[in-house]
Amino acid sequence: MVELKKRWRAWLRAIHRDFGYLAIGFTLIYAISGIAQNHIEDWGDVSFKATERTIAMAAIPATTPEIVAVKSVADAVGMGMPTAHTRAGDEIRLDYANGSKATAILDPSGTTVTVQQHARRPFIGLANWLHTARHKKAWKYIADTYAVLLLYLALSGIFMIKGKLGLKWRGTILISTGIAVPVLYIALAGGPDSQKEAVAQTTTDEIHSVPVGIGPPSAKKPETPTPTLTPTPTQEPDVKGPGSAVLVPLPPDDDQ
Amino acid sequence: MSDKPDLDRYPELAERWNRRNFIKSAVAGTALLGFGGALMRLAADDLTRAARAENRADGRPRLPPGQRVLEFLRPMGGEEGDGKSETFRLRVHGACKKPFEVDYENLLKLPQVEKMADVHCVTGWSMIGGMWKGVQLKKLAELAEMTDEARFVILEAAHGFTANIPMKEAMADNAMVTYRINGKPFSIDHGAPVRGLVPDLYFWKSSKWITGVKFVKNDAPGFWETRGYNNHADPWKEERYG
Repeated sequence: MVELKKRWRAWLRAIHRDFGYLAIGFTLIYAISGIAQNHIEDWGDVSFKATERTIAMAAIPATTPEIVAVKSVADAVGMGMPTAHTRAGDEIRLDYANGSKATAILDPSGTTVTVQQHARRPFIGLANWLHTARHKKAWKYIADTYAVLLLYLALSGIFMIKGKLGLKWRGTILISTGIAVPVLYIALAGGPDSQKEAVAQTTTDEIHSVPVGIGPPSAKKPETPTPTLTPTPTQEPDVKGPGSAVLVPLPPDDDQ
Repeated sequence: MSDKPDLDRYPELAERWNRRNFIKSAVAGTALLGFGGALMRLAADDLTRAARAENRADGRPRLPPGQRVLEFLRPMGGEEGDGKSETFRLRVHGACKKPFEVDYENLLKLPQVEKMADVHCVTGWSMIGGMWKGVQLKKLAELAEMTDEARFVILEAAHGFTANIPMKEAMADNAMVTYRINGKPFSIDHGAPVRGLVPDLYFWKSSKWITGVKFVKNDAPGFWETRGYNNHADPWKEERYG
């Protein structure tokens, strides 16, 4: 009986060890991209590196043939001829094979070209892509398997060591601490419902505190000098399009 | 005199001593990072304070509660479309008499508007005073002859993404499909070539890489709305989550 118990624990440890090895790659992917996702409000999406530069060039008259205008813009950009281009309204858009884009906005006083490049970062870009299983059929099941591995690692860890370093003392304290942290957080923060109630109450108070019939933006003067802000949105005059557009008729939707 | 024990004489203390030093370094590093982050926040707070001191024409504060101002739009991810104006098509369909499809060139031939609008991301940042150029959703509704039964507008985007907009916000003057901000085209991570703009709702409703505008009778919660985010998403009521 004693031998069986010993062997049982040895198997548990051996599987825990091997599952641990298997989990390393996945854990790096999910943990690092998880941190990136947690901080998306601070850092934005770090999957890509985006660069943008602006080039000023001479005005391109509206009568310039399209191919000549495209070549002028391509020369100014210095990346060769594009794989595709669109001339629409007051702009010419160039698309390059590497995903770069150059958009020239034509104006009688001069042309402004915005060159935008966008590249996926080597590790974090792929890790973030893998983190969500959406639209990845096989990866969904691989991710599920990893979750099962994690469950095994967590549960088997409870029984791997016996004695003072196991459940009898250290293990119990650390497991309780690990469980207590989320439980306490929920208890102290009041959970998602109470957060919503608090938000609703605050918002109602704020709306009620706004004087009725208050004047236009900036009517309320700040007490200390503040940076200049762009004026509050107001109704702007419409800018009419240059010509009549071609709209391709569609059949009614099946559900209409 | 150093308080470091003689580890050669007492090797059994080495592990604990090393662990203590590791924890000290980790705490110091974290504090340093936190301090740097706090300084960056303080610098950005001037804009936030200025925005909080203002009110909109409708009496609401210019900056909704729980928001801070950033100078630029922040990329928030999502499954990108191909970003090419050459392949862009916008389907305007659903509860309307004349559904149609329009390409990029012809979209720019429709009546254009340029409007100033503030946008508010559900994660807590706002960008204020952007000048957005595009075609109003109400103009698209007019061209398609939207029927009276339509109550919601669904903004459709690449890879099946959708966002549902109540008619009131969709038909506002500042709601549009837009291809330019502050005189510049959108980069691919901000929805190039054309994205939606519904500034009076949280910014996830302003679908990037837009492919369609659908008028519907019955509400159809979209991608984020079916994943725990609020169905309406009014920033002034902090309708962030469902």
